[in-house]
Amino acid sequence: MTRAAAGVALLALAAPAAPAQRFTIGPQFALASYREVAAGLRYQGTGFGGAASGRFRKLLAEATVTRLTLDPAEGSSATAGFTATEVNAWLAYDVAPYASVELGVIRRATDPEFDAQSVGAVRVGARSFYEIGPGATVVFRANYLVAPKFSGGGRAPLSLDLGLGLEVRLAGRLLGTAAYTFERLNRKTNPGGTGEIDAPIQTTVARVGVGVSF
Amino acid sequence: MSRRFGALALLAGLAAPAPGSAQAIQNATLRRAQQANDNLEYRQVLSLARAALRERLTGPERARAYELLGFTYGAMDSILKAVDAFKQVVLIDPERQLDPNRVSPKAYSAFDVALRQVLLVRQLRIDSTSFVGGQGTAPIRFMVTQPARVVTRVIGAEGSFLIDSGAWNGQVNLLWPARLPNGDPVPAGSYTLVVEARLGQNASSASQPIRLSHGNVDTVPHLTSLPGYQYLPETEVPPQSWRPLGLAFLYTGGALIGTVGLESSSLGAGSKREIAVVGGAALVTGFVMTLRRPAPRPAAANILYNRLLRDQIVRRNQEIAKENVVRRQQVQLTLAPLPKPAAGGPR
Repeated sequence: MTRAAAGVALLALAAPAAPAQRFTIGPQFALASYREVAAGLRYQGTGFGGAASGRFRKLLAEATVTRLTLDPAEGSSATAGFTATEVNAWLAYDVAPYASVELGVIRRATDPEFDAQSVGAVRVGARSFYEIGPGATVVFRANYLVAPKFSGGGRAPLSLDLGLGLEVRLAGRLLGTAAYTFERLNRKTNPGGTGEIDAPIQTTVARVGVGVSF
Repeated sequence: MSRRFGALALLAGLAAPAPGSAQAIQNATLRRAQQANDNLEYRQVLSLARAALRERLTGPERARAYELLGFTYGAMDSILKAVDAFKQVVLIDPERQLDPNRVSPKAYSAFDVALRQVLLVRQLRIDSTSFVGGQGTAPIRFMVTQPARVVTRVIGAEGSFLIDSGAWNGQVNLLWPARLPNGDPVPAGSYTLVVEARLGQNASSASQPIRLSHGNVDTVPHLTSLPGYQYLPETEVPPQSWRPLGLAFLYTGGALIGTVGLESSSLGAGSKREIAVVGGAALVTGFVMTLRRPAPRPAAANILYNRLLRDQIVRRNQEIAKENVVRRQQVQLTLAPLPKPAAGGPR
Protein backbone atom coordinates (compact mmCIF):
# COMPACT_ATOMS: atom_id res chain seq x y z
CA MET A 1 0.00 0.00 0.00
CA THR A 2 1.39 3.40 -0.92
CA ARG A 3 1.71 6.22 1.60
CA ALA A 4 -0.99 8.16 -0.22
CA ALA A 5 -3.42 5.27 0.00
CA ALA A 6 -2.59 4.85 3.67
CA GLY A 7 -3.22 8.56 4.22
CA VAL A 8 -6.58 8.39 2.48
CA ALA A 9 -7.53 5.37 4.56
CA LEU A 10 -6.56 7.19 7.78
CA LEU A 11 -8.59 10.23 6.75
CA ALA A 12 -11.59 8.03 5.97
CA LEU A 13 -11.26 6.40 9.38
CA ALA A 14 -10.93 9.76 11.12
CA ALA A 15 -14.12 11.20 9.67
CA PRO A 16 -17.23 10.47 11.76
CA ALA A 17 -20.12 8.56 10.19
CA ALA A 18 -23.64 9.90 9.82
CA PRO A 19 -25.74 8.71 12.81
CA ALA A 20 -29.13 8.20 11.09
CA GLN A 21 -27.83 5.45 8.88
CA ARG A 22 -24.63 3.63 9.56
CA PHE A 23 -22.89 0.49 8.51
CA THR A 24 -20.20 -1.10 10.66
CA ILE A 25 -17.94 -4.02 9.93
CA GLY A 26 -14.89 -5.43 11.62
CA PRO A 27 -12.96 -8.49 12.85
CA GLN A 28 -13.31 -10.01 16.27
CA PHE A 29 -11.33 -12.27 18.57
CA ALA A 30 -13.39 -14.71 20.60
CA LEU A 31 -13.12 -16.60 23.87
CA ALA A 32 -15.56 -19.43 24.43
CA SER A 33 -16.66 -22.00 26.92
CA TYR A 34 -18.91 -24.95 26.14
CA ARG A 35 -20.56 -27.45 28.49
CA GLU A 36 -22.86 -30.28 27.62
CA VAL A 37 -24.83 -32.99 29.42
CA ALA A 38 -22.80 -33.05 32.65
CA ALA A 39 -20.34 -30.97 34.61
CA GLY A 40 -17.48 -33.14 33.46
CA LEU A 41 -17.94 -32.49 29.76
CA ARG A 42 -16.60 -29.02 29.26
CA TYR A 43 -14.53 -27.28 26.66
CA GLN A 44 -12.73 -23.96 26.39
CA GLY A 45 -11.21 -22.30 23.44
CA THR A 46 -10.65 -19.27 21.29
CA GLY A 47 -11.49 -18.23 17.80
CA PHE A 48 -11.84 -15.49 15.28
CA GLY A 49 -14.75 -14.00 13.48
CA GLY A 50 -16.31 -10.92 12.16
CA ALA A 51 -19.31 -8.76 12.86
CA ALA A 52 -21.31 -6.47 10.66
CA SER A 53 -24.21 -4.23 11.50
CA GLY A 54 -26.27 -1.68 9.65
CA ARG A 55 -28.68 0.88 11.01
CA PHE A 56 -31.30 2.73 9.03
CA ARG A 57 -33.38 5.03 11.18
CA LYS A 58 -35.16 2.68 13.64
CA LEU A 59 -34.07 -0.52 11.97
CA LEU A 60 -30.92 -2.39 12.95
CA ALA A 61 -29.55 -5.47 11.24
CA GLU A 62 -26.65 -7.28 12.83
CA ALA A 63 -24.75 -10.46 12.02
CA THR A 64 -21.73 -12.26 13.46
CA VAL A 65 -19.73 -15.21 12.25
CA THR A 66 -17.31 -16.89 14.64
CA ARG A 67 -15.14 -19.89 14.21
CA LEU A 68 -14.16 -21.40 17.53
CA THR A 69 -11.64 -24.04 18.34
CA LEU A 70 -12.71 -25.72 21.55
CA ASP A 71 -10.52 -28.10 23.47
CA PRO A 72 -11.33 -30.12 26.60
CA ALA A 73 -10.97 -27.95 29.65
CA GLU A 74 -8.83 -28.91 32.60
CA GLY A 75 -10.47 -31.76 34.45
CA SER A 76 -12.86 -32.45 31.58
CA SER A 77 -13.86 -35.99 30.74
CA ALA A 78 -13.71 -35.17 27.02
CA THR A 79 -10.87 -36.68 25.10
CA ALA A 80 -10.85 -34.56 21.93
CA GLY A 81 -11.73 -31.05 20.95
CA PHE A 82 -13.80 -29.81 18.08
CA THR A 83 -14.36 -26.70 16.06
CA ALA A 84 -17.60 -24.82 15.89
CA THR A 85 -18.75 -22.29 13.36
CA GLU A 86 -21.43 -20.07 14.77
CA VAL A 87 -23.58 -17.69 12.80
CA ASN A 88 -25.90 -15.22 14.52
CA ALA A 89 -28.21 -12.72 12.92
CA TRP A 90 -30.62 -10.17 14.37
CA LEU A 91 -33.09 -7.73 12.95
CA ALA A 92 -34.13 -5.17 15.55
CA TYR A 93 -36.67 -2.39 15.48
CA ASP A 94 -36.55 0.50 17.95
CA VAL A 95 -39.76 0.81 19.90
CA ALA A 96 -38.40 3.38 22.33
CA PRO A 97 -35.33 5.61 22.53
CA TYR A 98 -33.56 2.94 24.60
CA ALA A 99 -35.24 -0.30 23.57
CA SER A 100 -35.98 -2.42 20.56
CA VAL A 101 -37.59 -5.74 19.76
CA GLU A 102 -35.68 -8.20 17.69
CA LEU A 103 -35.94 -11.36 15.66
CA GLY A 104 -33.07 -13.52 14.49
CA VAL A 105 -31.50 -16.87 13.95
CA ILE A 106 -28.64 -18.83 15.41
CA ARG A 107 -26.79 -21.61 13.69
CA ARG A 108 -23.84 -23.46 15.18
CA ALA A 109 -22.20 -26.27 13.27
CA THR A 110 -19.59 -28.48 14.85
CA ASP A 111 -16.80 -30.46 13.29
CA PRO A 112 -16.48 -33.40 13.76
CA GLU A 113 -20.22 -33.45 13.49
CA PHE A 114 -21.09 -35.59 16.49
CA ASP A 115 -18.37 -34.48 18.92
CA ALA A 116 -20.77 -31.78 20.07
CA GLN A 117 -24.29 -30.72 19.18
CA SER A 118 -24.93 -28.64 16.12
CA VAL A 119 -27.79 -26.26 16.81
CA GLY A 120 -30.16 -24.17 14.77
CA ALA A 121 -32.93 -21.96 16.14
CA VAL A 122 -34.99 -18.87 15.62
CA ARG A 123 -34.53 -16.24 18.28
CA VAL A 124 -37.09 -13.71 19.49
CA GLY A 125 -36.38 -11.09 22.11
CA ALA A 126 -35.63 -7.54 23.03
CA ARG A 127 -32.63 -5.37 23.69
CA SER A 128 -31.96 -2.27 25.68
CA PHE A 129 -29.22 0.12 24.68
CA TYR A 130 -27.93 3.28 26.25
CA GLU A 131 -25.32 5.81 25.25
CA ILE A 132 -23.27 6.18 28.40
CA GLY A 133 -21.01 8.77 26.85
CA PRO A 134 -20.01 10.33 23.55
CA GLY A 135 -19.69 7.40 21.14
CA ALA A 136 -20.02 4.76 23.87
CA THR A 137 -23.06 2.52 23.96
CA VAL A 138 -23.88 -0.46 26.16
CA VAL A 139 -26.41 -3.07 25.13
CA PHE A 140 -28.20 -5.76 27.05
CA ARG A 141 -30.35 -8.27 25.27
CA ALA A 142 -32.39 -11.32 26.08
CA ASN A 143 -33.64 -13.79 23.49
CA TYR A 144 -35.82 -16.82 23.63
CA LEU A 145 -34.70 -19.54 21.22
CA VAL A 146 -37.73 -20.96 19.54
CA ALA A 147 -37.81 -24.71 18.86
CA PRO A 148 -34.11 -25.36 18.46
CA LYS A 149 -32.99 -28.29 16.34
CA PHE A 150 -30.04 -30.44 17.35
CA SER A 151 -27.88 -32.68 15.24
CA GLY A 152 -28.24 -35.37 17.87
CA GLY A 153 -32.00 -34.97 18.15
CA GLY A 154 -33.98 -34.01 21.17
CA ARG A 155 -35.88 -30.92 22.13
CA ALA A 156 -35.30 -27.92 24.30
CA PRO A 157 -38.49 -26.26 25.52
CA LEU A 158 -36.57 -23.69 27.57
CA SER A 159 -33.74 -22.11 25.66
CA LEU A 160 -32.47 -18.67 26.46
CA ASP A 161 -29.75 -16.44 25.19
CA LEU A 162 -28.46 -13.39 27.10
CA GLY A 163 -26.06 -10.81 25.77
CA LEU A 164 -24.05 -7.83 26.87
CA GLY A 165 -22.54 -5.53 24.28
CA LEU A 166 -20.29 -2.53 24.24
CA GLU A 167 -19.38 -0.23 21.41
CA VAL A 168 -16.88 2.61 21.85
CA ARG A 169 -15.80 5.09 19.22
CA LEU A 170 -12.02 5.09 19.40
CA ALA A 171 -11.26 7.65 16.70
CA GLY A 172 -13.38 8.94 13.84
CA ARG A 173 -14.84 5.90 12.12
CA LEU A 174 -12.86 3.41 14.16
CA LEU A 175 -14.85 1.57 16.81
CA GLY A 176 -13.98 -0.84 19.55
CA THR A 177 -16.54 -3.59 20.12
CA ALA A 178 -17.05 -6.20 22.80
CA ALA A 179 -19.91 -8.67 23.12
CA TYR A 180 -20.75 -11.37 25.60
CA THR A 181 -23.23 -14.17 24.98
CA PHE A 182 -24.57 -16.69 27.42
CA GLU A 183 -26.67 -19.44 25.95
CA ARG A 184 -28.59 -22.07 27.90
CA LEU A 185 -30.37 -24.87 26.03
CA ASN A 186 -32.40 -27.18 28.26
CA ARG A 187 -32.10 -30.05 25.86
CA LYS A 188 -33.95 -33.29 26.58
CA THR A 189 -33.36 -36.48 24.67
CA ASN A 190 -35.08 -39.81 24.57
CA PRO A 191 -32.41 -42.32 23.57
CA GLY A 192 -33.91 -45.65 22.56
CA GLY A 193 -37.36 -44.64 23.74
CA THR A 194 -36.46 -45.29 27.36
CA GLY A 195 -37.69 -41.97 28.57
CA GLU A 196 -36.47 -38.41 28.40
CA ILE A 197 -33.23 -37.47 30.03
CA ASP A 198 -31.71 -34.05 30.48
CA ALA A 199 -28.81 -33.14 28.19
CA PRO A 200 -28.38 -29.42 28.75
CA ILE A 201 -26.01 -27.31 26.72
CA GLN A 202 -24.43 -24.11 28.00
CA THR A 203 -22.22 -21.83 26.00
CA THR A 204 -20.53 -18.55 26.83
CA VAL A 205 -18.73 -16.54 24.22
CA ALA A 206 -16.90 -13.22 24.50
CA ARG A 207 -15.98 -11.41 21.33
CA VAL A 208 -13.68 -8.41 21.31
CA GLY A 209 -12.78 -6.53 18.16
CA VAL A 210 -12.63 -3.36 16.20
CA GLY A 211 -14.90 -2.04 13.52
CA VAL A 212 -15.09 0.62 10.92
CA SER A 213 -18.29 2.54 10.50
CA PHE A 214 -19.49 4.12 7.26
CA MET B 1 -71.32 95.70 -51.41
CA SER B 2 -67.77 96.86 -51.96
CA ARG B 3 -67.81 98.49 -48.50
CA ARG B 4 -68.87 95.23 -46.88
CA PHE B 5 -66.24 93.38 -48.85
CA GLY B 6 -63.68 95.88 -47.62
CA ALA B 7 -64.74 95.42 -43.98
CA LEU B 8 -64.44 91.66 -44.27
CA ALA B 9 -61.07 92.04 -45.86
CA LEU B 10 -60.01 94.23 -42.97
CA LEU B 11 -61.10 91.57 -40.54
CA ALA B 12 -59.27 88.97 -42.57
CA GLY B 13 -56.21 91.14 -42.37
CA LEU B 14 -56.58 91.32 -38.62
CA ALA B 15 -56.73 87.55 -38.56
CA ALA B 16 -53.34 87.35 -40.17
CA PRO B 17 -50.68 85.75 -37.98
CA ALA B 18 -48.34 87.72 -35.82
CA PRO B 19 -45.49 89.59 -37.50
CA GLY B 20 -43.05 87.10 -36.10
CA SER B 21 -44.51 84.24 -38.06
CA ALA B 22 -44.70 86.39 -41.17
CA GLN B 23 -41.02 87.08 -40.82
CA ALA B 24 -40.34 83.35 -40.67
CA ILE B 25 -41.63 82.93 -44.23
CA GLN B 26 -38.69 82.17 -46.50
CA ASN B 27 -40.55 81.45 -49.73
CA ALA B 28 -40.66 84.59 -51.90
CA THR B 29 -44.00 83.76 -53.55
CA LEU B 30 -45.60 83.16 -50.20
CA ARG B 31 -44.15 86.42 -48.92
CA ARG B 32 -45.72 88.20 -51.88
CA ALA B 33 -49.02 86.50 -51.16
CA GLN B 34 -48.75 87.69 -47.57
CA GLN B 35 -48.07 91.23 -48.77
CA ALA B 36 -51.01 91.04 -51.18
CA ASN B 37 -53.15 89.92 -48.25
CA ASP B 38 -51.88 92.83 -46.22
CA ASN B 39 -52.82 95.11 -49.12
CA LEU B 40 -56.27 93.52 -49.46
CA GLU B 41 -55.49 92.38 -53.03
CA TYR B 42 -57.41 89.14 -52.76
CA ARG B 43 -57.24 88.02 -56.35
CA GLN B 44 -53.49 88.26 -56.11
CA VAL B 45 -53.54 86.47 -52.74
CA LEU B 46 -55.35 83.57 -54.34
CA SER B 47 -53.04 83.31 -57.33
CA LEU B 48 -49.84 83.80 -55.33
CA ALA B 49 -50.86 81.42 -52.54
CA ARG B 50 -51.77 78.73 -55.09
CA ALA B 51 -48.48 79.36 -56.87
CA ALA B 52 -46.59 79.08 -53.58
CA LEU B 53 -48.25 75.74 -52.82
CA ARG B 54 -46.81 74.41 -56.07
CA GLU B 55 -43.37 75.30 -54.83
CA ARG B 56 -41.19 73.67 -52.18
CA LEU B 57 -42.43 74.89 -48.77
CA THR B 58 -41.80 74.05 -45.19
CA GLY B 59 -44.71 72.71 -43.15
CA PRO B 60 -45.50 76.04 -41.45
CA GLU B 61 -45.23 77.82 -44.81
CA ARG B 62 -47.61 75.36 -46.42
CA ALA B 63 -50.04 75.78 -43.50
CA ARG B 64 -49.74 79.56 -43.84
CA ALA B 65 -50.43 79.36 -47.57
CA TYR B 66 -53.61 77.36 -46.98
CA GLU B 67 -54.54 79.72 -44.19
CA LEU B 68 -54.24 82.71 -46.53
CA LEU B 69 -56.47 80.85 -48.97
CA GLY B 70 -58.96 80.12 -46.22
CA PHE B 71 -59.14 83.70 -45.06
CA THR B 72 -59.44 84.97 -48.62
CA TYR B 73 -62.13 82.46 -49.61
CA GLY B 74 -63.94 83.36 -46.43
CA ALA B 75 -63.75 87.03 -47.29
CA MET B 76 -65.00 86.24 -50.77
CA ASP B 77 -67.95 84.20 -49.36
CA SER B 78 -66.59 80.95 -50.83
CA ILE B 79 -67.26 79.10 -47.60
CA LEU B 80 -66.82 75.57 -48.92
CA LYS B 81 -63.46 76.43 -50.40
CA ALA B 82 -62.54 78.21 -47.17
CA VAL B 83 -63.44 75.06 -45.22
CA ASP B 84 -61.32 72.92 -47.54
CA ALA B 85 -58.39 75.29 -47.14
CA PHE B 86 -58.70 75.29 -43.34
CA LYS B 87 -58.91 71.48 -43.34
CA GLN B 88 -55.52 71.43 -44.99
CA VAL B 89 -54.29 73.89 -42.37
CA VAL B 90 -55.33 71.70 -39.40
CA LEU B 91 -54.12 68.54 -41.07
CA ILE B 92 -50.68 70.12 -41.43
CA ASP B 93 -50.74 71.80 -38.04
CA PRO B 94 -53.38 70.29 -35.73
CA GLU B 95 -52.50 72.74 -33.00
CA ARG B 96 -53.43 75.75 -35.15
CA GLN B 97 -55.94 77.92 -33.34
CA LEU B 98 -57.70 81.09 -34.49
CA ASP B 99 -58.43 83.97 -32.17
CA PRO B 100 -62.20 84.64 -32.40
CA ASN B 101 -61.55 88.24 -31.40
CA ARG B 102 -59.30 88.85 -34.38
CA VAL B 103 -60.87 86.67 -37.06
CA SER B 104 -64.00 87.32 -39.03
CA PRO B 105 -66.97 85.21 -37.95
CA LYS B 106 -67.13 83.66 -41.42
CA ALA B 107 -63.50 82.61 -41.36
CA TYR B 108 -63.81 81.40 -37.78
CA SER B 109 -66.94 79.39 -38.54
CA ALA B 110 -65.29 77.95 -41.64
CA PHE B 111 -62.29 76.98 -39.49
CA ASP B 112 -64.61 75.46 -36.93
CA VAL B 113 -66.47 73.47 -39.61
CA ALA B 114 -63.13 72.30 -40.98
CA LEU B 115 -62.06 71.11 -37.54
CA ARG B 116 -65.22 69.04 -37.17
CA GLN B 117 -64.74 67.42 -40.55
CA VAL B 118 -61.38 65.84 -39.73
CA LEU B 119 -60.42 63.58 -36.84
CA LEU B 120 -57.78 65.30 -34.79
CA VAL B 121 -56.29 65.02 -31.35
CA ARG B 122 -55.09 68.47 -30.45
CA GLN B 123 -54.15 70.71 -27.60
CA LEU B 124 -52.74 67.88 -25.54
CA ARG B 125 -51.65 69.36 -22.22
CA ILE B 126 -50.30 67.93 -19.01
CA ASP B 127 -49.37 70.28 -16.21
CA SER B 128 -46.30 70.09 -14.03
CA THR B 129 -47.55 68.57 -10.82
CA SER B 130 -46.35 66.83 -7.73
CA PHE B 131 -48.40 64.54 -5.53
CA VAL B 132 -48.15 61.54 -3.23
CA GLY B 133 -48.73 58.22 -4.97
CA GLY B 134 -52.23 56.97 -4.34
CA GLN B 135 -53.37 60.32 -2.99
CA GLY B 136 -53.27 62.57 -6.04
CA THR B 137 -53.55 62.67 -9.79
CA ALA B 138 -52.02 64.43 -12.75
CA PRO B 139 -54.55 66.23 -14.97
CA ILE B 140 -54.33 65.50 -18.70
CA ARG B 141 -56.34 67.57 -21.18
CA PHE B 142 -56.82 67.26 -24.91
CA MET B 143 -59.42 67.79 -27.57
CA VAL B 144 -60.86 65.25 -29.98
CA THR B 145 -62.57 66.86 -32.95
CA GLN B 146 -64.86 63.94 -33.76
CA PRO B 147 -66.44 61.16 -31.67
CA ALA B 148 -63.78 58.45 -31.62
CA ARG B 149 -62.26 55.63 -29.64
CA VAL B 150 -59.41 57.26 -27.77
CA VAL B 151 -56.55 55.39 -26.12
CA THR B 152 -54.28 57.33 -23.82
CA ARG B 153 -51.06 55.85 -22.53
CA VAL B 154 -47.50 56.60 -21.57
CA ILE B 155 -44.67 54.84 -23.32
CA GLY B 156 -41.12 54.75 -22.06
CA ALA B 157 -38.11 52.58 -21.51
CA GLU B 158 -39.77 51.15 -18.40
CA GLY B 159 -42.75 49.96 -20.43
CA SER B 160 -46.09 51.07 -21.76
CA PHE B 161 -48.83 51.93 -19.29
CA LEU B 162 -52.45 52.49 -20.22
CA ILE B 163 -54.06 55.58 -18.75
CA ASP B 164 -57.49 55.53 -20.34
CA SER B 165 -59.41 53.94 -23.16
CA GLY B 166 -62.83 55.21 -24.08
CA ALA B 167 -65.09 56.95 -26.56
CA TRP B 168 -64.60 60.67 -26.41
CA ASN B 169 -65.56 63.80 -28.31
CA GLY B 170 -64.63 67.41 -27.73
CA GLN B 171 -62.67 68.51 -24.70
CA VAL B 172 -61.39 65.58 -22.64
CA ASN B 173 -60.10 65.88 -19.07
CA LEU B 174 -58.39 62.85 -17.59
CA LEU B 175 -56.90 62.34 -14.15
CA TRP B 176 -53.86 60.05 -14.08
CA PRO B 177 -52.86 58.61 -10.70
CA ALA B 178 -49.57 57.32 -12.18
CA ARG B 179 -50.10 53.93 -10.50
CA LEU B 180 -49.88 50.39 -11.76
CA PRO B 181 -52.77 47.96 -11.25
CA ASN B 182 -51.01 46.52 -8.19
CA GLY B 183 -50.83 49.93 -6.56
CA ASP B 184 -47.15 50.53 -7.19
CA PRO B 185 -46.23 53.86 -8.73
CA VAL B 186 -45.27 53.96 -12.39
CA PRO B 187 -41.46 53.68 -12.47
CA ALA B 188 -39.55 56.91 -12.69
CA GLY B 189 -38.19 57.86 -16.08
CA SER B 190 -38.85 59.68 -19.30
CA TYR B 191 -42.05 58.81 -21.06
CA THR B 192 -44.09 59.98 -24.00
CA LEU B 193 -47.72 60.65 -23.33
CA VAL B 194 -49.53 59.41 -26.42
CA VAL B 195 -53.19 59.98 -27.23
CA GLU B 196 -54.47 57.97 -30.17
CA ALA B 197 -57.94 58.50 -31.60
CA ARG B 198 -59.45 56.13 -34.14
CA LEU B 199 -62.70 56.40 -36.05
CA GLY B 200 -63.06 53.81 -38.74
CA GLN B 201 -60.15 54.20 -41.13
CA ASN B 202 -59.27 57.63 -39.76
CA ALA B 203 -56.77 57.99 -36.99
CA SER B 204 -55.01 60.80 -35.28
CA SER B 205 -52.58 61.02 -32.46
CA ALA B 206 -50.84 63.56 -30.33
CA SER B 207 -47.90 63.11 -28.02
CA GLN B 208 -46.15 64.96 -25.25
CA PRO B 209 -42.83 63.99 -23.69
CA ILE B 210 -42.94 63.96 -19.91
CA ARG B 211 -40.59 63.12 -17.09
CA LEU B 212 -41.76 61.25 -14.03
CA SER B 213 -39.51 61.32 -10.99
CA HIS B 214 -39.86 59.74 -7.58
CA GLY B 215 -38.99 61.29 -4.26
CA ASN B 216 -36.95 59.44 -1.66
CA VAL B 217 -38.69 56.68 0.22
CA ASP B 218 -37.77 56.08 3.85
CA THR B 219 -38.24 52.33 4.05
CA VAL B 220 -37.80 50.45 7.30
CA PRO B 221 -34.81 48.04 7.32
CA HIS B 222 -35.46 44.36 7.98
CA LEU B 223 -34.57 43.00 11.39
CA THR B 224 -31.96 40.38 12.12
CA SER B 225 -32.58 40.48 15.85
CA LEU B 226 -35.03 41.96 18.29
CA PRO B 227 -33.61 44.66 20.55
CA GLY B 228 -33.10 43.28 24.03
CA TYR B 229 -33.49 39.67 22.95
CA GLN B 230 -30.50 37.45 22.19
CA TYR B 231 -30.40 33.94 20.79
CA LEU B 232 -29.51 31.35 23.42
CA PRO B 233 -27.15 28.41 22.84
CA GLU B 234 -29.13 25.42 21.60
CA THR B 235 -26.88 22.87 23.25
CA GLU B 236 -25.74 22.67 26.83
CA VAL B 237 -23.11 20.60 28.55
CA PRO B 238 -24.76 18.62 31.34
CA PRO B 239 -23.00 18.46 34.69
CA GLN B 240 -20.66 15.55 35.27
CA SER B 241 -22.28 12.58 36.99
CA TRP B 242 -21.76 8.95 37.86
CA ARG B 243 -24.53 8.01 35.48
CA PRO B 244 -22.26 6.38 32.83
CA LEU B 245 -20.59 4.14 35.41
CA GLY B 246 -23.94 3.40 37.00
CA LEU B 247 -25.42 2.38 33.68
CA ALA B 248 -22.38 0.22 32.89
CA PHE B 249 -22.86 -1.45 36.29
CA LEU B 250 -26.54 -1.92 35.62
CA TYR B 251 -26.08 -3.54 32.22
CA THR B 252 -23.10 -5.66 33.31
CA GLY B 253 -24.89 -6.66 36.48
CA GLY B 254 -27.94 -7.67 34.51
CA ALA B 255 -25.87 -9.89 32.26
CA LEU B 256 -24.00 -11.39 35.24
CA ILE B 257 -27.14 -12.05 37.24
CA GLY B 258 -28.81 -13.54 34.19
CA THR B 259 -25.82 -15.79 33.59
CA VAL B 260 -25.63 -16.98 37.15
CA GLY B 261 -29.36 -17.43 37.36
CA LEU B 262 -29.64 -19.41 34.16
CA GLU B 263 -26.65 -21.65 34.67
CA SER B 264 -27.63 -25.28 34.78
CA SER B 265 -27.02 -26.88 38.14
CA SER B 266 -26.21 -30.13 36.50
CA LEU B 267 -23.44 -28.53 34.44
CA GLY B 268 -21.84 -26.78 37.40
CA ALA B 269 -20.61 -23.23 37.62
CA GLY B 270 -19.61 -22.06 34.23
CA SER B 271 -16.62 -20.09 33.10
CA LYS B 272 -16.78 -16.40 34.04
CA ARG B 273 -13.79 -15.24 32.04
CA GLU B 274 -15.99 -14.27 29.09
CA ILE B 275 -18.23 -11.98 31.10
CA ALA B 276 -15.23 -10.74 32.99
CA VAL B 277 -13.67 -9.56 29.74
CA VAL B 278 -16.73 -7.86 28.34
CA GLY B 279 -18.18 -6.67 31.64
CA GLY B 280 -14.79 -5.32 32.68
CA ALA B 281 -14.56 -3.43 29.41
CA ALA B 282 -18.04 -1.99 29.97
CA LEU B 283 -17.19 -0.89 33.50
CA VAL B 284 -13.91 0.69 32.44
CA THR B 285 -15.70 2.48 29.65
CA GLY B 286 -18.36 3.67 32.08
CA PHE B 287 -15.69 4.92 34.46
CA VAL B 288 -13.85 6.76 31.69
CA MET B 289 -17.09 8.30 30.48
CA THR B 290 -17.83 9.41 34.03
CA LEU B 291 -14.51 11.25 34.16
CA ARG B 292 -14.89 12.74 30.70
CA ARG B 293 -16.60 16.00 30.06
CA PRO B 294 -20.14 15.11 29.02
CA ALA B 295 -21.13 15.68 25.44
CA PRO B 296 -23.28 18.73 24.77
CA ARG B 297 -26.94 17.87 24.50
CA PRO B 298 -29.82 19.83 22.97
CA ALA B 299 -31.30 22.40 25.32
CA ALA B 300 -35.01 22.02 24.64
CA ALA B 301 -36.04 25.26 26.38
CA ASN B 302 -33.43 27.30 24.53
CA ILE B 303 -34.37 25.70 21.19
CA LEU B 304 -38.00 26.59 21.86
CA TYR B 305 -37.06 30.12 22.89
CA ASN B 306 -34.91 30.60 19.77
CA ARG B 307 -37.70 29.26 17.58
CA LEU B 308 -40.13 31.74 19.13
CA LEU B 309 -37.59 34.52 18.64
CA ARG B 310 -37.05 33.56 15.01
CA ASP B 311 -40.79 33.36 14.41
CA GLN B 312 -41.21 36.77 15.99
CA ILE B 313 -38.47 38.25 13.78
CA VAL B 314 -39.98 36.63 10.68
CA ARG B 315 -43.41 38.00 11.61
CA ARG B 316 -42.01 41.46 12.26
CA ASN B 317 -40.10 41.39 8.95
CA GLN B 318 -43.30 40.42 7.15
CA GLU B 319 -44.99 43.44 8.71
CA ILE B 320 -42.03 45.61 7.72
CA ALA B 321 -42.19 44.28 4.16
CA LYS B 322 -45.89 45.17 3.98
CA GLU B 323 -45.19 48.57 5.47
CA ASN B 324 -42.39 49.16 2.97
CA VAL B 325 -44.69 48.25 0.10
CA VAL B 326 -47.14 50.90 1.28
CA ARG B 327 -44.32 53.40 1.74
CA ARG B 328 -43.03 52.74 -1.75
CA GLN B 329 -46.52 53.18 -3.12
CA GLN B 330 -46.88 56.47 -1.30
CA VAL B 331 -43.78 57.97 -2.86
CA GLN B 332 -43.78 61.63 -3.89
CA LEU B 333 -44.33 61.68 -7.66
CA THR B 334 -43.25 64.69 -9.70
CA LEU B 335 -44.45 64.95 -13.26
CA ALA B 336 -43.18 67.55 -15.67
CA PRO B 337 -43.82 67.99 -19.40
CA LEU B 338 -40.70 68.17 -21.54
CA PRO B 339 -40.29 70.30 -24.66
CA LYS B 340 -41.29 68.53 -27.82
CA PRO B 341 -38.51 67.66 -30.21
CA ALA B 342 -38.07 70.15 -33.08
CA ALA B 343 -40.37 69.65 -36.09
CA GLY B 344 -38.96 68.24 -39.34
CA GLY B 345 -37.93 70.16 -42.45
CA PRO B 346 -39.99 71.00 -45.54
CA ARG B 347 -42.77 68.64 -46.58
